[in-house]
Amino acid sequence: MNDVTFRTGVHEQIGKIGSADIIVGIPSFNNARTIAHVVRAVQAGLAKYFPSHKAVIVNSDGGSSDGTIEVVQNSSIEDFNAILLHHRVEPIFKIAFPYSGIPGKGSAFRSIFEIAQRLDAKACVVVDSDLRSITPEWIELLVKPVLNGGFDYVAPLYHRHKFDGTITNSIIYPLTRALYGKRVRQPIGGDFGFSGKLAQFYLTQDVWESDVARFGIDIWMTTTAIANGFNVAQSFLGAKIHDAKDPGADLSSMLYQVVSATFDLMESHAKVWTPIRGSEPVTTFGFEYTVGLEHVNVNTARMLNLFREGLANLRDIWVNILGAGDFREVERLGTLSDSEFCFPIGLWTRVIYDYAIAFHLKKLPAEHLIKSLTPLYVGKTASFILAAEHMEGHEAEAEIEKLCMEFENNKDYLVTSWKFQGDKS
Amino acid sequence: MMDFLNLILEPLQEVFSKFKAFVPNLLAMLAILVLGIVLARLLKFILVKSLIAINFDSWSDRMGFTALMRKGDIWAKPSATLGAIIFWLLVIVTLMIGLSALKIPAIDNLVEQAFIYMPRAFSAAVILMIGYVLTGFISQGVLVAAVNSGYHYAKLLADAIRILLMVLILAMAMEQLQIAPSIVLAAFTIIFGGIVITLAISFGVGGIDAARRMIEKEAAGKPDAETKDDIEHL
Repeated sequence: MNDVTFRTGVHEQIGKIGSADIIVGIPSFNNARTIAHVVRAVQAGLAKYFPSHKAVIVNSDGGSSDGTIEVVQNSSIEDFNAILLHHRVEPIFKIAFPYSGIPGKGSAFRSIFEIAQRLDAKACVVVDSDLRSITPEWIELLVKPVLNGGFDYVAPLYHRHKFDGTITNSIIYPLTRALYGKRVRQPIGGDFGFSGKLAQFYLTQDVWESDVARFGIDIWMTTTAIANGFNVAQSFLGAKIHDAKDPGADLSSMLYQVVSATFDLMESHAKVWTPIRGSEPVTTFGFEYTVGLEHVNVNTARMLNLFREGLANLRDIWVNILGAGDFREVERLGTLSDSEFCFPIGLWTRVIYDYAIAFHLKKLPAEHLIKSLTPLYVGKTASFILAAEHMEGHEAEAEIEKLCMEFENNKDYLVTSWKFQGDKS
Repeated sequence: MMDFLNLILEPLQEVFSKFKAFVPNLLAMLAILVLGIVLARLLKFILVKSLIAINFDSWSDRMGFTALMRKGDIWAKPSATLGAIIFWLLVIVTLMIGLSALKIPAIDNLVEQAFIYMPRAFSAAVILMIGYVLTGFISQGVLVAAVNSGYHYAKLLADAIRILLMVLILAMAMEQLQIAPSIVLAAFTIIFGGIVITLAISFGVGGIDAARRMIEKEAAGKPDAETKDDIEHL
């Protein structure tokens, strides 16, 4: 395993700083428009809540062409007196550099972990560079459980619109919770706090030349922390609003990246998750409050059309993965009208478990396999939107809780199929 | 009486002397076989280790070779399977070299012919094998991508691509085997050209109305009635 190589300037900066208590990492790629706000919020958070701690802001950039690094270097809060009652004792250092290695968020994080290790940091935080809703309190909520609470990993907990985060709500959260037995609500949130010890552990893992370096770092960090027995908590951060994503981003590619990363982790941690049954809540920090959320437009008719196109064209693939029995149930859904369409949660649970088994048995090339899940996922999402249309946020959350329980109650099906069919491979 | 005995013993002596002359050849064949099998095993071991070192199994997973093997009820790892194929190919070559050591003209002739044809048969088999896997991989990829883009005739498109590629690969394999190459080339040109012309005519003539509608729609501007999705999936 090769070490991260830094430019001479970065080496010199690390040498000058010597050591640090807190590292705040901000991975970026062409985020000049939004990163200044993130840097200022982080500086304010460090100044307000950790005035006597030595802190470093690390911007690990993927080769931006819009001057992101320059924006980071030039962003600072002009007058701390305007927002603080007391002066900060320790200065806040800044290191901004283009990372080396495979392009991707994982490589950016690796550089941040490496700097945390070299500076012997006690606590680290990573936050996205396109956040618009980040406040100084995020830094407190992500750092304090590590510095003062003895936790190694702090996942975020956001209030989101009931129709947002559907991959998380219908696949990643229920699956991760059922597999590893911890109720971490946003396992791929993107904004995390962790101890220096955990950062060092991440660096020792032999994944930095794999897909983890490109995508899937978020679920990898959460799963690695849980599966290796680190102390995990979550902090309520309020609303998560970030810069509008690329509208051309392909849903099936997104699904492939997240789901394949989760299934890959099932392979490497099979011994950990197979004996676990049920789940337990994790310690939650922060004061929960209601936030106003923007309206979300949805077109369920178009989503259901895509589901029916999948049913008409992907029959052979779906029969091969789901088996004849479950496929017949999916086929029956295709005959329902838009208004009566309802994807049963029991069937959805088996679909995800069957896809996990098919991935394990390598029934199809991974990309084709997971991308063939797209119409089913879209059908399930449309079904949820139709059911939750007139629900309040907490009622929609109760529906997600029911789905999670279904995943937990059906885990025997997954474990038996994994062990029985896995013996053949 | 002696004449009679000579009549019996002479052929026996002749057989014995021939056998005596044959024994070294037989031993040579056995030695070649044993040495060949040992070498084949050694090469297999080195090959499998090298394939594992370069992550051949992961590459096979991505390319769909593993999925194809599973379909054929082969549950060994791709690296081990390739190792076994190379091993048995080397055993066959060793067997042929061993047989030629017997110095029997009929067998020599057969082995010589087999050796001349073997590279062609081998490359044709490789073309068919890789072609089959690539055809399945490409057509499946097209099918899934077309469905996810909401294209109504996704399966038809994927099947058409599969057939076109299979025709191309069969023609390549037969050309390699030198089975009536001129006929194969002519047949391939006719079939492939025919398909392209048929598609051009059917889309050209049958699609006039559709094309007109599309142009009119573009000229009239895009309708804004359809609601866009704002869902954040992650």
